[in-house]
Amino acid sequence: MTIAAERTQDDTKRVVEPGVTPMGVTAHVSDLVLEAPTPLWWWVGFGMSAGLLGLFVVAIGWLFIRGVGIWGIDWPVAWGFAIANYVWWVGMASGGTLISALFFLTRSEWRSATSRIAESMTVFCVACAGIMPIIHLGRWWYFYWLFPYPNTMALWPQFRSPLHWDFVAILVYVIGSLVFWYVGLIPDLATLRDRATRRWQRVLYGILALGWQGSSRHWREFKTLYLVLAALMAPLVVSIHSVVGLDFAGGLTPGWHETQFPPYFVFGAALSGFAVVLMLVIPLRRALELSGVITLRHVDVLARLLLTASLLLTYCYLLEVFMPFYRGERHEITVVLANFTGTYAPWYWAKIVLNSVVPQLLWFRAVRLNRPLLFVIAAGVVVGMWIERYVIVASSLHRNYSESSWFPFHPTVWDWATLAGSVGLFLTGFFLLLRVIPMVSMFEMRELLHKKRGPG
Amino acid sequence: MSEKAINDRASIARRLVGKRGRSLWRSLGELSRDPEVMALLQREFPGLPSLTEAKLGRRRLIELMGASFALGGLAACGPATVPDVAIPYVALPPGVIPGVARNYATAVTRGGYADGVLVVHQMGRPVRVEGNPEHSASLGALDPVIQASILDLYDPDRSQTVLKAGRIAGADAFVTALTARADALAAKHGRGLRILSGAVTSPTLAAQMEALRRRFPEMRWHRWEADGRDNVRAGAALAFGRPVDTVLHVDRADVILAIESDFLDAAPGHLRYARDFARRRRAPEEGRPEAMSRLYAVESMPTLAGGRADHRFVARPEEIERAVRALAAELGAGPPDWKADWKGQGPGWVAAVARDLGAHLGAALVHAGPAQPPAVQALVHVINDALGAPGRTVEYIDPVEVDPVDHADSLAALVRDMRGGVVDTLLVLDANPAFTAPADLGFAEALGRVPLSVHLGTHVDETAMLCGWHVPEAHVFERWSDARAFDGTVTIIQPQLQPLWAGWSPHELLAVLGGEPRPNGYGIVRDHWLRAARERGEADAEAFWIESVRAGVVADSAAPPVTVAVSGDLVAGLPTPAEAPRGDALTALFRPDPWLGDGRHANNGWLQELPRPFTTLTWDNAALLAPATAERLDVKNGDVVALTVAGETVRAPVWVLPGHAADCVTIPFGFGRTVAGRIGKGVGFDAYRLRRGDGLWQAAVRLSKTGGTYPLAATQHHQMIESPDLVRAGTLDEFRENPRFAQRPVSDQSLYPAWEYPRNAWAMAINLNACIGCNACTAACQAENNIAIVGKEEVLRNRQMHWIRVDTWYEGGAEAPNETLFQPMTCMHCEKAPCEVVCPVGATVHDTDGLNVMVYNRCVGTRFCSNNCPYKVRRFNYFNYAEDDPRLAMSWNPDVSVRARGVMEKCTYCIQRIREARIAADREGRPIRDGEVKTACQQACPAEAIVFGDAKDPDSVVSRRRGSPLDYGVLEELGTRPRTTYQARLRNPNPDIQEA
Repeated sequence: MTIAAERTQDDTKRVVEPGVTPMGVTAHVSDLVLEAPTPLWWWVGFGMSAGLLGLFVVAIGWLFIRGVGIWGIDWPVAWGFAIANYVWWVGMASGGTLISALFFLTRSEWRSATSRIAESMTVFCVACAGIMPIIHLGRWWYFYWLFPYPNTMALWPQFRSPLHWDFVAILVYVIGSLVFWYVGLIPDLATLRDRATRRWQRVLYGILALGWQGSSRHWREFKTLYLVLAALMAPLVVSIHSVVGLDFAGGLTPGWHETQFPPYFVFGAALSGFAVVLMLVIPLRRALELSGVITLRHVDVLARLLLTASLLLTYCYLLEVFMPFYRGERHEITVVLANFTGTYAPWYWAKIVLNSVVPQLLWFRAVRLNRPLLFVIAAGVVVGMWIERYVIVASSLHRNYSESSWFPFHPTVWDWATLAGSVGLFLTGFFLLLRVIPMVSMFEMRELLHKKRGPG
Repeated sequence: MSEKAINDRASIARRLVGKRGRSLWRSLGELSRDPEVMALLQREFPGLPSLTEAKLGRRRLIELMGASFALGGLAACGPATVPDVAIPYVALPPGVIPGVARNYATAVTRGGYADGVLVVHQMGRPVRVEGNPEHSASLGALDPVIQASILDLYDPDRSQTVLKAGRIAGADAFVTALTARADALAAKHGRGLRILSGAVTSPTLAAQMEALRRRFPEMRWHRWEADGRDNVRAGAALAFGRPVDTVLHVDRADVILAIESDFLDAAPGHLRYARDFARRRRAPEEGRPEAMSRLYAVESMPTLAGGRADHRFVARPEEIERAVRALAAELGAGPPDWKADWKGQGPGWVAAVARDLGAHLGAALVHAGPAQPPAVQALVHVINDALGAPGRTVEYIDPVEVDPVDHADSLAALVRDMRGGVVDTLLVLDANPAFTAPADLGFAEALGRVPLSVHLGTHVDETAMLCGWHVPEAHVFERWSDARAFDGTVTIIQPQLQPLWAGWSPHELLAVLGGEPRPNGYGIVRDHWLRAARERGEADAEAFWIESVRAGVVADSAAPPVTVAVSGDLVAGLPTPAEAPRGDALTALFRPDPWLGDGRHANNGWLQELPRPFTTLTWDNAALLAPATAERLDVKNGDVVALTVAGETVRAPVWVLPGHAADCVTIPFGFGRTVAGRIGKGVGFDAYRLRRGDGLWQAAVRLSKTGGTYPLAATQHHQMIESPDLVRAGTLDEFRENPRFAQRPVSDQSLYPAWEYPRNAWAMAINLNACIGCNACTAACQAENNIAIVGKEEVLRNRQMHWIRVDTWYEGGAEAPNETLFQPMTCMHCEKAPCEVVCPVGATVHDTDGLNVMVYNRCVGTRFCSNNCPYKVRRFNYFNYAEDDPRLAMSWNPDVSVRARGVMEKCTYCIQRIREARIAADREGRPIRDGEVKTACQQACPAEAIVFGDAKDPDSVVSRRRGSPLDYGVLEELGTRPRTTYQARLRNPNPDIQEA
């Protein structure tokens, strides 16, 4: 049984292809987890991801043994890849939350088919993001000191520090994302439990489904809870990226000390979030034969969102250049000029091209529907967004107020290993999820189909 | 052990034949019962025969074992940590009080000249070196090299045993060998006996030498200092017909001309000169603008004096000589045709300088550095004479050095005799000629022809490897001795602790040579001074001795001035100056590294990692080139070039140095040690291989590119001034017009409420007008605050840990910067500290006295504080630097935490010293007095540039400095309200000289 649509015409109006039935969706999506043999591409992808994860383990092991000196961070550039990676991962995580929560609140129809992929992505992006600030610490084993826990010394964290806000924000976001994702899974887990033929699957999904019966009372409570969570998560995604922006804006460092940073970081997060969702949706709708429910409408919408976010971010880029000259602040102008022509100029211009220039292709419908090209553009944005954070971290610090300390940052092999390894962690987790949870929200699709065509 | 016995298997086999049961033996030698071995055994274990020969019963054995265990504990009772004969500097209750420091006076020598120091003891353990305020050469200040001497004391690589041909040998064996040789030498009146040492000012050693000469009339004493003052000595001899030492009175000089002078860097007495100079420079802000002196410098490579000069003229060496001749002619002290001969740069600056000097007769001073040839030195004396300087700004005294000789000639004569087979016994005292001797002498090869050679040194060095015997020398803090300062003042050097390892003093070694098999350094020095006291007519010789040792200065021992006259025919007899090298050859300028000296401090990590003035290089020397020359040769920083002098080639990395003379290349020596220890070995390149007897200070050198590059670890990468606000400077005229020219209006608005300070509000004032950029503050801070070294690889990553750094800035063109500005930068202890608000765990907080304090135990290492510090004065432990530091654990200052990996650190205003004073004040129920707390940097600063105290007290020195019209805060427009403020630099240019 398949829900793959025959490719008739490019209709970007349909959120579901004709011929897709509620039963068909449920059967196909749950069989992917319960029945289908593990495909070869999964083994290849999982193997490579696990290899990268191994690299991550080695990089962090060596870091724990030797100290953060194995990275290229120096004086004055005391922050490096760990912070750039953190902002990058947490930014990508926003994609899932925006699609799941924000567009849930707006009752967007196209959301249902993509929300599970996006949310699962968020869970592992947040995991990668959460690790980074901890391994960034000189004494990571004391990371819990950032948390206001009761202790015999009556010591509290410093509530004025943006890093403390950041710690709280990411903690809330991690917990919120996990709960939101899990709650949204419960009806589908119950479906899996009911459809499972093997005993271990029945036990596993039985436990995970938390006794879901599908009674109308369950549905009522579920709907309320899900709405509340969505209403919490949507502002939370804005707040976390604003706080990430404040990590920098709160610093007295030219190039960081900018009031526009909170929205700047929200826009950047949205851009990378949509890009990474696109990067997952485009291959998965093919590999999992989901083109019947993840239609070209979805691809088109995501591409339009990508373009919107790119335009918003480009506006911030322009302001970032304009404001120092408008204020006439010499040190900030120095940073801008250093970005244009200095050590980090290749990175800076790469970021402009990847995040602002190339996405302008998305004005064209043909580009938006050209999945391979769209994939490449989205990948470029994901790379570009990492570069943006790297430039913000390194370039500003290396042209600080004290000219006698000016010195660039040179990454070491361990910096790159940590970055590549974190990609491994994300992909390994995501590949595992592909085999254990349904990648399309079955009950939402049923609901959508029901609304569209009546019960069937 | 007898090789013969060991190898004589037949004899061993014979002994084993017919043995039954257990026959125990410890070595093949013993088994062979070789008489030589048996005699050795008997010496080593005198009680052994009585135990083994006699019947040893079971009871007796148990008794002996029991007694051994019981008495074994006694061994832990000694040795005493403080020699019972040392005398505390200040009266304290007897016994050591934990946490309370004691100071003992002594001296450290450099090129023989003494600087008086106080060694600070904690719990009987020397932890730090401070200047002795009662000593004329120190006045309480110190330079980095002397401060780092404490690290040498605790150097684990120091030589620890007597070596014979590189193998461990007993001290007794050495005494036996040397005594036997001395007896043989005495029989032939000492013919063939040679002693080689560095410059010596020790009266006791001089007396010992006299005594030795009586026993060995034909003995000869040679001297060699690679960075010595031969030229100065020869110049004085040329001018006055006899050697004299010159003592400067910089405080009396209105106009000074420094000719590549080291009077602020390294000359004997430089610490005192720096203080005198700085006081005259600070005069304007103290309301006496007319008292500000004017300094001219003419030099080929930058010196500290050049950095502070009001006019700095860059000239090649031969140009300098012509300029000095022209100057002499302008002042009427030389033939008029010398004026015509001057075709140097800067039209007329010589005439202008001559007019200025001439206008200040009796208050003018000219000084030339030790690299200037004797002719220049002699002309300086002539000019000073014409300026009426003698008796006013300069004084002459009899040479402080014992038996002054020309070191280069002296060493050359020794090598000639060694090669000729005349030398059969050579004692090398605290010198390393195998490394430092001129390359063309072939010292090492000649040394091989000396039958008995003895090396006395603190380390096994290049010379020790070649000598038959090596004797470990006691560190200067482990031995008795004496030395004289630049003005002749004597300090008795007293040990600060029992030798960590069996170390000998030169006095003891010479005593053995004199026939005393069990020499006692204490007795030798003390006997000399008791005798001297009686000769001086002291009523109580013992009291005189105790007082001299306690104070660190022998009263009234400064040398009286002597009157000398410039010889009349001097000017006519001077050789014409050398021409510049022809063709594409450059002029090599051989100069000692400012910290390593002739290379003797190569194994000192503090000195290796201390940035060199101007270049800020660490852990390497480099061929220093002018920017224009580098451009012409198409080389840049780190390019490796081949330097060839007289066929010998050395590869060296290039460093481009603003203000360097064109077509010259400064080649610092002292690096490239091959036998030094784990820190100093193989660091930098060995410039001695290019330094020949006929070109000790300069030579023609060919430079060619090799195409290779080499990483050089500098600590400051941007030196041209880009923001005029960080470091502010003006001229005396600008100051007269508007004394507050350096101040800008600053808003004092803040979101946060103002702090309340019930007790003190500590503040620091750094006077840029006084700072000479010598880095003494950085070294003092490192010693006081347990700052670990990080090594070259880490400096290359810009992770050096110094809490106070001396930023060096150039203004104007790179070829001849108009001005070089030094700015010590350390934590500003801001009122509104940006670091405090961003630390998520509150590890850096404001204390009740206004200090911005670091709580190391609370720090988790987010490093946000460092990012947020606009002054970039915070340092992070990226690795466990303190644990990786090879220094002995006992060398750390117990008053200061040693920081672990992952923790931020920075200047604390020496909070441990504040607490010490606070405790003392609280016990006495009084406030802390002004000047009671001195930070380490302040204490070491020879120029009194750094002042620390209570800003709440309007009468404190720091409040007065902060009230100076020149006072400003760095980056105060950011609203940080720094507690450390700066007083802007002033220049006093000559209006007759137009700036380029």
